[in-house]
Amino acid sequence: MASIMRPGLLRQACQAPAASQRMLSTFASSSVKQSSPFAQHMRPAFARSTIPKSTRIAAFHATQRQQILPPLPQRIEGTTNDPTPVPDPTPAHGSYHWTFERIVSAGLVPLTIAPFAAGSLNPVTDSILCALLVVHSHIGFESCIIDYFPKKRIPVIRNLAHWALRVATLTLGIALYSFETNDVGITEAVKRLWHA
Amino acid sequence: MATTRAFARLASRRAAVRPAAFLTRGFASVTESPTTSETVSPKASRGPISEKQTSTIKEPEPGKDAKIKTFHIYRWNPDEPTSKPKMQSYTLDLNKTGPMMLDALIRIKNEVDPTLTFRRSCREGICGSCAMNIDGVNTLACLCRIPTDTAKESRIYPLPHMYIVKDLVPDMTLFYKQYRSVKPYLQRTTAAPDGREFRQSKEERRKLDGLYECILCACCSTSCPSYWWNQEEYLGPAVLLQSYRWIADSRDEKTAERQDALNNSMSLYRCHTILNCSRTCPKGLNPALAIAEIKKSMAFT
Repeated sequence: MASIMRPGLLRQACQAPAASQRMLSTFASSSVKQSSPFAQHMRPAFARSTIPKSTRIAAFHATQRQQILPPLPQRIEGTTNDPTPVPDPTPAHGSYHWTFERIVSAGLVPLTIAPFAAGSLNPVTDSILCALLVVHSHIGFESCIIDYFPKKRIPVIRNLAHWALRVATLTLGIALYSFETNDVGITEAVKRLWHA
Repeated sequence: MATTRAFARLASRRAAVRPAAFLTRGFASVTESPTTSETVSPKASRGPISEKQTSTIKEPEPGKDAKIKTFHIYRWNPDEPTSKPKMQSYTLDLNKTGPMMLDALIRIKNEVDPTLTFRRSCREGICGSCAMNIDGVNTLACLCRIPTDTAKESRIYPLPHMYIVKDLVPDMTLFYKQYRSVKPYLQRTTAAPDGREFRQSKEERRKLDGLYECILCACCSTSCPSYWWNQEEYLGPAVLLQSYRWIADSRDEKTAERQDALNNSMSLYRCHTILNCSRTCPKGLNPALAIAEIKKSMAFT
């Protein structure tokens, strides 16, 4: 779908075709470009076959390379002797966030191993494990969004991604909650899958 | 997604098209010139023209049993801004060339092609000028031996993800501005107790080993994917190592301010311990360890 819309393709298709344009055409050659895909379809089949294949096929292979966030021209803020601006300290996004993230990650290790090592199921550890998993994955994906969706270039997409992540996290939380309360729980599920 | 992008591009293109012919005034002297939108300058990130499509400049006078080695070097001339960057091939007789990559570059510049441009100064790994990407690794050309295996061809690029001034010369303005932003100097308000020098114990001094040796060649920063993606906001391993060099200094009294300057989501915490920096450092330093120390010192404050 999108490939037909590409302007590069149209440009390619509009270049002079190798075969005669006048042949058996009822259109005036100036009104419709003879080699455009539309005109190709309007021609009778035998006339179409006289056009060299390459001009017809090329249109479907001449896709432009799509670049994701190509580099912008260099822009330097201030003079070369000014330091780059230092952002205001926000520990909630800095050191507190990092410490919290590490505690969650470190806490997940024993919580994952403990139920299987102990061999017993405890709904409390199970629910803590679920909660930490949700938080952990949320932080991880959030980090990906911050890395790959620069605020200055694509603020709207970044916001959308953030909201999509929040919705997904909430959905996951609800799903895990109902799985814990109505079903067997995550540890038991893994155990059953393991033995299945 | 792709459809909307194509539509947006179509729309923008239509907006850029000149007004219809009957709306524009014709001038007698104006001839139909090729539309400027068709002669788009090449995209910077498309990669240079391969060495297979460029000429090879040969060793001027190969001696008997010459060890001919091929070097593919990235070339781009700002005087021709619309021409693509290209890989230019040179062959050199290793018997007449010094052992290091920088010797090969200097020999090319002196004897073969004087238009080749690169930075160099001390030729012994002290100045950090000749940082470039050699055979896929960011390193100093003066510290990198030419592999004697003549069957293998060497490729030399400028530091990755930097704006290029010419050939192998990257623009370091942002890097130096970031270095300036961490205030790389001793900050004290109190005088020394004996009124003479700020003294350190041997243990305090030992903390600075592995930090003060950094020559700011930017090999580590430009090897860091986080720095590639978020160059404007993330400081990068080299600058963070320098920041830690002053955080760790026992004589400095602005440690808390220095840490506050890093305490946001971008400046420091875009480091995801990829460890490319420690792997590539031509001086054998460990910027990743310094960054980890900063994070640790800020963790429970």
